[in-house]
Amino acid sequence: MNRTRSRGWLGALPLLAFFALVFGVPAVVLVAGAFTAQGRPSLANLSQSLQGGYLNAMIGSVRLSAVVALLGAVLGTFLAYAIVTSRRTLLREAVLTASGVLANFGGVPLAFFWIATLGNSGVVSGLVGLPSGSLYTFWGLALVYLYFSVPLMVLAMAPALDGLRPQWREAAANSGATSWHYWRFVALPVLAPAMLGGVVLLFGGAFSAYATANAMVGTVVPLVTLKIASALTGDVLVGYENIALALSLDMVVVAGLVMAIYLPLQRRTSRWLH
Amino acid sequence: MTASGSKSGSGWGSGSGTGSGSGTPGLSSASVSASASVEFRALRRTFGRTVALDGLDLVIAPGEFVALLGPSGCGKTTALRCVAGFERPDSGAVLVDGKDVTDVPANKRDAGMVFQSYSLFPNMNARDNVAFGLRVRKAPVAVRRAKADELLALVGLPDHADRYPHQLSGGQQQRVALARALALEPRVLLLDEPLSALDAKVRVTLREEIRRLQLSLGITTVFVTHDQEEALSIADRVAVLRDGRLEQVGTPAEVYDRPATPFVAEFVGTMNHLAGQVTGDHVTVLGQLLPVDGPVPADPSVDVLIRPEAVQVVPADDGPSEVLAASFRGASVRLRLAVDGGEVLADVPGHEAARLGPGARVVVRLVERPVLVAARTVTVPAPVIPADAV
Amino acid sequence: MAALTGLERVSGADTPRPRRAWWRGAVFLLAGIYFLVPLGTAFWYTIHTPGAGVSLSAYGELLTADGFVRSLSLSLGLALATIAVVLLLALPAMLAVRLFAPRLRPVMEVLCTLPLVVPPITFVAGIGTALRGGTDLLAPTPFWATLIAIQDPGFPLVLVLAYVVLVLPFVYRSLDAGLRTMDVRTLVEAARNLGASWPYVLARVIVPNLRSALASASFLTLALVLGEYTVASLLGYQPFAVWIVTVSGSKGQLSVAVSILSLLLIWLLLLAVSTVFGKEKGK
Repeated sequence: MNRTRSRGWLGALPLLAFFALVFGVPAVVLVAGAFTAQGRPSLANLSQSLQGGYLNAMIGSVRLSAVVALLGAVLGTFLAYAIVTSRRTLLREAVLTASGVLANFGGVPLAFFWIATLGNSGVVSGLVGLPSGSLYTFWGLALVYLYFSVPLMVLAMAPALDGLRPQWREAAANSGATSWHYWRFVALPVLAPAMLGGVVLLFGGAFSAYATANAMVGTVVPLVTLKIASALTGDVLVGYENIALALSLDMVVVAGLVMAIYLPLQRRTSRWLH
Repeated sequence: MTASGSKSGSGWGSGSGTGSGSGTPGLSSASVSASASVEFRALRRTFGRTVALDGLDLVIAPGEFVALLGPSGCGKTTALRCVAGFERPDSGAVLVDGKDVTDVPANKRDAGMVFQSYSLFPNMNARDNVAFGLRVRKAPVAVRRAKADELLALVGLPDHADRYPHQLSGGQQQRVALARALALEPRVLLLDEPLSALDAKVRVTLREEIRRLQLSLGITTVFVTHDQEEALSIADRVAVLRDGRLEQVGTPAEVYDRPATPFVAEFVGTMNHLAGQVTGDHVTVLGQLLPVDGPVPADPSVDVLIRPEAVQVVPADDGPSEVLAASFRGASVRLRLAVDGGEVLADVPGHEAARLGPGARVVVRLVERPVLVAARTVTVPAPVIPADAV
Repeated sequence: MAALTGLERVSGADTPRPRRAWWRGAVFLLAGIYFLVPLGTAFWYTIHTPGAGVSLSAYGELLTADGFVRSLSLSLGLALATIAVVLLLALPAMLAVRLFAPRLRPVMEVLCTLPLVVPPITFVAGIGTALRGGTDLLAPTPFWATLIAIQDPGFPLVLVLAYVVLVLPFVYRSLDAGLRTMDVRTLVEAARNLGASWPYVLARVIVPNLRSALASASFLTLALVLGEYTVASLLGYQPFAVWIVTVSGSKGQLSVAVSILSLLLIWLLLLAVSTVFGKEKGK
């Protein structure tokens, strides 16, 4: 067609081709594998992946992620508000930088930090006499996950809180509103999309976390990522690979549903705040 | 310097051209019950080491439209925010209708405010923004809706009730903000540079509409601006502030024609600074002897302040002065002239300007009337002409 | 994995703030305890051995530890390769779409968001299966050799490919935010009008204006690749994060010491990015 259009395609082509190959092929293989059992099309893998221990693992993952997302969102928002309203720029900068570091700090090192602190031979567990194995429970895992989730929420909320204009509070007061009215009718509705976006981000982070949970050897919490890994590597039985693919498909569906909420909301916030 | 020369009785809106002498909108229910007087009493407010208000005294009569005018940092916005309750003065008091409201919280005051910009709640459409105060007061939905729609019609946006702020232009947003400020039928309207973020054309239309609305409602209005033209064109009285103090207050004509201080003279309108020599109560400037108005500095070498329209220009082939540039400004033409020892600006009627193109030789004469003089501000004898004056 | 670095915030510090500092103090105190105690105890754990007292030997042991240098240099190499590939793919594509094919933009946006929906472990499940199947399928063709080559344990290109996909959403968002702050079309037209060639426009006009966005994208990529465990371990390679786990079985103190160092590394990187590239935001 015309020259500019073709230039557009030309520039985008390498990325599109790369994406089709590296992302598209595994995606197709995954879906195909999930629907294949003993070399034939079948729903057996999927139905098996939604039963018994697998179902428990999925429920465990969703529960853990939901708890981490909600707690992290509330705590992170409070922390972000404390930062944004603080007059000390140095403190503000320090906490935001620390959040930037911690939000990107996860995986294996994070697990070791907490093992050294609250693990069975950890420093603090010795001091407070924590029963052995406390860290490897549901709430122990949630505590560890919050270590990167709260800072992530801080980073997600700080710009939104910065975007609350002082005029809104004053205009509300000028119309007779109390502080409660202002939060109820103006600030929270304006922040809601960013907060929900943060919740989704946190949910996704906790849901797909594998390294941390895996490094905390002895975790009794059933998690879908651990199940997939053991099905992939454990070679317990031949054919379990396709169960791993079916579980993966389940995960993608859950993550996709959550993301389907997130994206439109994000668009709405950015529209309001500009 | 008259601090409290409040006019009594009626007759507002005499001072300046609102452009439209047209009738008021006949919306009886939108009218305000009664407007209140506003008084600043020795108001003082500091921010750290900065003194924003340094003992401001000013009385605004019920139904009056007063513009607080001054350069940025003169304390005009702080004064307004003290009326709204967003700032607490360090000392002094704000009185509304004779009652001291200094300790009344912002959400209990009887003053609607329009902010500079971006003050509409982004999560609500225009109607909900206007009805916000009524919602806080738990008015029934039907009442809220009716009142909001009526006010939106009043500010000229009857068809925009369902639009969100980001779907409205800057001018439309300020109209909605105005409607919101009026929704609780306050007895005082506070406008904090509501037009400064708008395009020049919108600014002029909207200011005229604000004035029309204010006249029809009869609401006491305090209008903060740094734009002298804006202040002169819509206010009953203009209060010029400098460094947290009142420099002068008076009708636009008074402030323009008889500025009380060189600062006011300089800030309001364009001024020529011409080198002059004082003898007794007269001053010699451009070879003319003019009576001096106001105080005389100790040093007889002074700056004489002359408005461009007080400079008369007569074409003369052997004249001592020369036209350097001419710029067309509608009814008049502004000339930049080379005179003995410097430059001067002159406004002449358009029909006289035909023979006054650049290069024309002329004779310059000053209108015979008392002039203000100020201590010499520049060492060079050349008059100071603002860069954007021509 | 994080989507944010903290560099993209907007500042509103110029507005007067309300007082009432007590609750803020409490929030900071609690946050301080929660975030600093594990850091402190982890450090204590590395230097204190019950019965043997305090020593820094765990840190001294590091350099000589078997596999430390090899795994770290592998991770750094992978990170640099990933940054290069992802920027070379994403930047031209985003510019081309912005300038010449705005209608492709929603497509790009969807593509670059898709990896977010795919947890790394599911992605690796797909890749692993595809590689195994592909090796069988392509055995008779020359592509087979390529497939084997990208799985070379010395420098597994397949990890670079996977990481590019995983960081694409974050890189896209960083660059998109950067491109939003400038009028690309006008800049390009002005430069072209002044006689600049396309490569010149790219190198001298676009990239300098995108510096902080590029830095932010690079930082996110670096942090992700250095800490990445899931994909590498399940595909059977041993970069840094995998090595820490391997070594933790026998040397607990050493692995925690490495964890502290990696946190320090992330902090230094972010600091470098924000001091070098963050300055222009102030203007």
